[in-house]
Amino acid sequence: MSQEIVPARISRWLFTTNHKEIGILYTITSLFFFVAAGLLALTMRTQLSVPDNNLLSPELYNQFVTVHGLLMIFWVLSPFAFGFANYIIPLQIGARDLAFPRLNAMSYWFYLVSGAAMIMSFALGGAPDLGWTLYSPQTSFKFTPTIGLNVGAAGLILIVVSITMSSVNFLVTMFKMRAPGMKLKHMPVFPWAILVTIFMMLYAFPSFLAALLLLYVDRAFGTFYFSSIQGGALLWDNVFWFFGHPEVYIVLFPAIGLIADAISTYTRRPLYGSKYIIGSMVAAAIISFIVWGHHMFVTGIGLTSTKLYTVTTIAVSLPFDVMVIAMVESLVKARVRLKAAALFSLGAVALFVIGGITGVYLASVALDHALRGTYFVVAHFHYIMVGASIMGLIGGLYYWFPKMTGRMYDEGLAKIHFIASFIGFNILYFPMFLLLDMPRRIDTYAPNTGWATLNLMSTVGGFIFGLAQILLFVNLFASLRRGSPSGPNPWEAWTLEWSLPSPPPAHDFDTIPTIAEDGTYHFGNNPGYPNGSGYPNGSKIGNGIAYSHLEGQSPWPIVVAFSAFTFFLGITIGQPSNPSVPVTFQPFWPLVLDGAILGVIALYGYSKERFHVHEETNVESWPFRDVPNVKLGIWTFLGAEVIFFGVLIGAYFFVRTNSPTWPAVGSLFEVRSGFAMTLVLLTSSLTAIMALVSAKIGSRNGLMASLLATFGLGVSFLYIKANEWIFLGTHGVFSVANGLPATSYFITTGVHGVHVFAGMLMTLYLLVNTVKGRYLKGDYHAIEHFGLYWHFVDIVWVFLFPLFYLI
Amino acid sequence: MAFLIIKYREKKNSQDPDDTPRLGRIPIVRGHGRNLVITLSLSTIIVVALIFGSFAAVDTLLTPPNGTWCYGLVPGYGASSPLNPDCPRIDIIGHQFYWDFRYPGPHAHTDKYVFRLPVNGTVVLDVTSSDVFHDFGIIPFKIKTDAVPGRTNTIWFVPYQTGNYLIQCFELCGQGHYYMNATLTVMPVPSFQQWYNST
Amino acid sequence: MNTTYLYLLVFAILVGSTDIEVNIVSLYPSALGSVAMLFGTIALSYGVIVSILLGLAGMKALLIASFYQHLKYEPRSLSSWVLIGLVMASLLMSLVFIQLHVH
Repeated sequence: MSQEIVPARISRWLFTTNHKEIGILYTITSLFFFVAAGLLALTMRTQLSVPDNNLLSPELYNQFVTVHGLLMIFWVLSPFAFGFANYIIPLQIGARDLAFPRLNAMSYWFYLVSGAAMIMSFALGGAPDLGWTLYSPQTSFKFTPTIGLNVGAAGLILIVVSITMSSVNFLVTMFKMRAPGMKLKHMPVFPWAILVTIFMMLYAFPSFLAALLLLYVDRAFGTFYFSSIQGGALLWDNVFWFFGHPEVYIVLFPAIGLIADAISTYTRRPLYGSKYIIGSMVAAAIISFIVWGHHMFVTGIGLTSTKLYTVTTIAVSLPFDVMVIAMVESLVKARVRLKAAALFSLGAVALFVIGGITGVYLASVALDHALRGTYFVVAHFHYIMVGASIMGLIGGLYYWFPKMTGRMYDEGLAKIHFIASFIGFNILYFPMFLLLDMPRRIDTYAPNTGWATLNLMSTVGGFIFGLAQILLFVNLFASLRRGSPSGPNPWEAWTLEWSLPSPPPAHDFDTIPTIAEDGTYHFGNNPGYPNGSGYPNGSKIGNGIAYSHLEGQSPWPIVVAFSAFTFFLGITIGQPSNPSVPVTFQPFWPLVLDGAILGVIALYGYSKERFHVHEETNVESWPFRDVPNVKLGIWTFLGAEVIFFGVLIGAYFFVRTNSPTWPAVGSLFEVRSGFAMTLVLLTSSLTAIMALVSAKIGSRNGLMASLLATFGLGVSFLYIKANEWIFLGTHGVFSVANGLPATSYFITTGVHGVHVFAGMLMTLYLLVNTVKGRYLKGDYHAIEHFGLYWHFVDIVWVFLFPLFYLI
Repeated sequence: MAFLIIKYREKKNSQDPDDTPRLGRIPIVRGHGRNLVITLSLSTIIVVALIFGSFAAVDTLLTPPNGTWCYGLVPGYGASSPLNPDCPRIDIIGHQFYWDFRYPGPHAHTDKYVFRLPVNGTVVLDVTSSDVFHDFGIIPFKIKTDAVPGRTNTIWFVPYQTGNYLIQCFELCGQGHYYMNATLTVMPVPSFQQWYNST
Repeated sequence: MNTTYLYLLVFAILVGSTDIEVNIVSLYPSALGSVAMLFGTIALSYGVIVSILLGLAGMKALLIASFYQHLKYEPRSLSSWVLIGLVMASLLMSLVFIQLHVH
């Protein structure tokens, strides 16, 4: 292939949908946030280095500690891992890109704008300042009347959207785009780790989204989920930690997968017990969803629950036990090459063992009574999140840098980086284990506590660790231009990405490889593309970073992300109109309207764009053989929606069973209007399925009529609901201020109503296209997909109707 | 681990092991499940022991002692009646940013900042909060419980040594979290009686 | 059978069940001021009625999912996404219920 120098232009990066370029964007952006959050941490450590320090005021300190946590967990750890996942996973499974390239780009831009929102919150009346865990009722309007928390919540909501889009994308890709012969059991450990991670993301993040939504509505509209006693602290505790615990495994597993594969490469032997390592990851992921109560051991959850969570939490340590033993056993009779990436991987395992054992200490309820809320906990999770996760990911950077850039870096400098980081890390965090009587998140402390020496030591370690990272950046930046060419496989590794040139061409594989029964790869004689080389219209191969051909560029992802950012900023940036009256946040309408209008235009443009994604026909697709990619994506998304509504309904159940009294059936609602709404929606499901039938048989009139009927019925539903809301709200009996029955009703049916409204927009779009004659010649899939969503919305109402009107 | 890394490090004259994975082929499966099953079983035995130990501990921690198990009762303080002496129960209420200590009758009153108790006397604490989520902890006596508005969490302990001890808040509750401290003063019984009767 | 007839049949069942749900509400104990009687013989407590209502809702959901969303005819694996979600949501609610009410 001829090499052409292609000048890098900004628009290429703004409109790219190529997985490699998006991977690079994620990696670089996450490193930027790493430095930002790290600087916040160093400032905090400086503040804590001596007693009675006043470098940082308590107000600022609390903001720093919160934003440090939020940035590191959401904007650094996962994106750093997914930068690699984006770049490497398609290569390792023998695909040319992810299943939905524009969705992938949109995930990245949502990630970027959400980070901007979080950082902007500092300037908007103060960033969130109640710890990344944002406990209630401190976060309610009464105790935090500033808008900074609203803006931070908007940032968090945007990144949850980004992550959900990524989860759907990766799940469809990994199940439906593997090369022939690349069965799931043949995948290396890193793709397995990512697969397990995205399953956890899909089912955990909707809980967080629901929690954030409820928090925002509480603050802006005066509802009572988190500010009441029946809901309050315990409701947030449960909803947050149901998400929070899987989340900490989400930020860990990609690094574990990476470490496992790196160990295999640098020990020159297959990984010991790789299938047990994978099995352990799956087991740990499943158990991780039932351990969250260990964050509430001293919150008064009762003896039964405490014992239950002790069992599950200690049980979840067992799979990790297996993983570590297997990785250490891999070193036996191996030929260990101690390159920088190997050092980081092995170092990460060692630190993980220390962090993990201290986790078992915390799992013991008796010890937890002593250790809860102290620096022991801080040390424990930093050993895992920094020691295992960050060190592992940096190892990944050293591992894959040659592949991504085609250059080698200075190995010696990288090893010095490791030594300095490892030593600095331990000096920074080990003293914290010994500070087990020092509370977390305090701004300063008295001299007579005797904590000064250890704190000072910790700060020194922090600076060593922080400054050591300069070596990383210097090494890699310099090597970008001046490093020696690395060749395709500098580590003599076996996974598929090393079979490609460094860096890979835009289209990755000339021909998709086949894995034969005996495990060998074959790179020829496979009907991948008609001419066997690249995309049909040809592509240019750039020097340096791979150039994505014009067919893969799209402006809509960044525009949608920007409009979402504008919209959410407008909603959350409004100041209270009357400071002395709680919850009078006014949305800033100019931004809200701009965002909404731009968003509608962008989504329309996105849908209309003729963006062709070539789907390989000859792929491994167990267990979703014969399921088209988009349909699989929609079902995946609906799985997440189940959790989202499940948590909303769960919150309703929570406050209802926790309240001594609740209005009797029939005293609040007109059962008749609920009955009418149910009938309307059920009929609209019928018309939606009849629309599909009409499209399949090619009847334009039938399709028009069904779609119009669906639209009309949906609008009627919203009309009846609006009337009911107005009636209930204005008759004082049921205004939002009247506590939990109103809160739960308005929020749950309101969220459902937004889903109905979105469905109406989709119906309009389909109607417009039907007028133009689409969907009648075998291309009925959009109708089918709309139907899947619409029937789901109907199912949710089928549950909401009895839950609110009839019991 | 360090031992293994050093022993098996790459040397110039060493060969690649037989089963080195090469590019072009999925590696063979390595490793007996047997070793892992053995370590897994050993670990399971250890953790099951831990679990049952925890259960015993948590039963004790979370169950306030009943009357017959109350040690060191001070006459005229806290007991519900001479015939049925329960342990004195003290209400502790967290505020932003201090603790209220409400002593029971007959000299019921509320203190802030200093919490006085008689030495060697079992005491039961009912902890709650009037505003936000706090956490009440006394590290030297290893007791801690969350102070949640609308709920009361009960813990108990026996202050077995006189002296002054630090009470702290262990859950970020706002900007004054770092100074939400109090002092537990454990006094000899006569001094405590004298103080209590004078309030 | 013809798919259109199938869909109409499902629709009829859905509407019929909704009708039953709405009418069952009149059998609540408080509505009659005494223990509710069904068909003059069986007494229905609040818990039983709630179970019937949720059971009917579940049945309706199953019908919509199986036939309108076509899950009955799709590979089993496709249903797994929502089934896993349901299991997890149920776990969340059960464990929280235990936290609140089982000491």
